[in-house]
Amino acid sequence: MLHLLKIDLKKLIDYRTFWIICGLYFFTLILGAASGMEFLKWLGRTIEGFGQNININRIPLYHFPDIWQNLAWSAGLLKLGIAIMVVISITNEFTYRTIRQNVIDGLSREQFLISKMLTNLLLSAVSMVLVFLIAVVTGLIYSPVFDYPYGFTGIAFYPAYFLEVFAFLSFALMLGVLLQRSGLTIVLLLNSYLIELIIKENIDNYIPGVVPFFPLESIMNLVPLPFARYAFQEIRDYVTFGSIAIALVWTFLFNYFAYLKLKKSDI
Amino acid sequence: METVLSIQGLTKNFGKLCAVNSINLEVKRGQVFGMLGPNGSGKTTTLGMLMGVVNPTAGSFSWFGQPPTHQLRKKIGAVLEHPIFYPYLSGQKNLELMAMIKEAPVSNIPKVLELVELADRKNDKYKTYSLGMKQRLAIASALLNDPIVLILDEPTNGLDPMGIAEIREIIKRIASDGKTIILASHLLDEVQKVCSHFAILRKGTLVHSGPVDDVGKGEEKVEVIAFHDDIALLLERFDGTISVKKEDQQFVVKMKEGFHSQDLNRYLFEKGIVATHLLTQKKSLEKQFLEILAEAEHAALIKN
Repeated sequence: MLHLLKIDLKKLIDYRTFWIICGLYFFTLILGAASGMEFLKWLGRTIEGFGQNININRIPLYHFPDIWQNLAWSAGLLKLGIAIMVVISITNEFTYRTIRQNVIDGLSREQFLISKMLTNLLLSAVSMVLVFLIAVVTGLIYSPVFDYPYGFTGIAFYPAYFLEVFAFLSFALMLGVLLQRSGLTIVLLLNSYLIELIIKENIDNYIPGVVPFFPLESIMNLVPLPFARYAFQEIRDYVTFGSIAIALVWTFLFNYFAYLKLKKSDI
Repeated sequence: METVLSIQGLTKNFGKLCAVNSINLEVKRGQVFGMLGPNGSGKTTTLGMLMGVVNPTAGSFSWFGQPPTHQLRKKIGAVLEHPIFYPYLSGQKNLELMAMIKEAPVSNIPKVLELVELADRKNDKYKTYSLGMKQRLAIASALLNDPIVLILDEPTNGLDPMGIAEIREIIKRIASDGKTIILASHLLDEVQKVCSHFAILRKGTLVHSGPVDDVGKGEEKVEVIAFHDDIALLLERFDGTISVKKEDQQFVVKMKEGFHSQDLNRYLFEKGIVATHLLTQKKSLEKQFLEILAEAEHAALIKN
């Protein structure tokens, strides 16, 4: 297993595009976390009456325990960045035809896919650890107090965030294997949310209750939007078993479809 | 002799097109086996199936008497069609990656780079290499794991005459180590120069296979130039003659089996004629190849 991961990393480690995209992703993550307060101030200036209804400085955006879910959800938006990297990594293998040479050299098709999946796992894990660290640092800076164990409420969103990233990367990997062209795959990846949105909006009238089972919806449901709580609305601030189960099933299916396609096609 | 590769009824259809049609073939240890055929005759598809990248429609094959697995492929060095490498990696890094996949010792890398004379360019990115260098790196990669079998598909494609000669030398050197080599090519000259056995494919069908030495066996043709008025008649009367054809100022005598040029020479000498030119025409693989293809074409026409 470790050997397969090493093989895939060997392909990436000297690939400049990989470092640029990863660098941009993590840079945006840190910048995004640091600029949340400024964003609120900007909102207060631009929107008339925003500051009157809610006192900006009293919003505990970066306070423990709010920070956990706030940051996990925000970082979830940026997973598209690494997903694009995953698409480039898999479609390169088809355009350079190196997947063919890998198989000729003695990698089985399953092993090839597993090597890509292992990289996805690693990227998800690194991403989770990084977001967690950013949360800890910003939390320590802004939080007036840290009361144990209340301060840890919502920390379960980090494993959920890990699954969110891995599920989405699996989706990107599957699209890459199915389409084999980087441009086409990236466009479809970007549009997949819109496509799903259109279907979701229309199907709810016919089959009620089916919406949470949609693939991208299930990935988004892992860490729900937290910010509505500052407008005194009820939000879900815990991880549900159901959302995990649905996302896990989809993650399995994405990788399985990629496997089926690789297995039966001539490369 | 030990069988390295055995193919039974291997078939591949692409939709309606039958790219490879029920091929049976055996390759023994130590052979340099040439696969000939015009472009699009199914050579690369056949090799692709043998290397696990093309799924066969029907039939089977075995390497070293065992059913094919990816583990077995690690002991085979193969380059199909054109060299394939990661363009953004250096030659050295590409080989390191391959060594990981093939589970080959990294210490082999300098050896194979030396063999193909790429050691001084090993740290340059693959995309900066010339075509000849790419081909040579491909051969180096195929040799990385001390393979028992080497598969080369058009290894001299697109090379200049010097590059072709270089690759041919490398192949000969490898063959002299006793390695089994399967060489697909449409350059007949090349096959005749390096191969011990050959097979001919035409539209996915195997139309001939046998040793290269057999080429030129059978009836001989002898070129004769002699200055004598009745030479044509005298040649006709020779016991070993099947037919005489005049080409420019020389006669080409087609000989019966068992008769050779020295018999003709002796006959002429006894008649008091001294030939100024007497030469046995060597049948080239090219001629044989074209003949076999023409026969196959003819047979196919009759069948339809």
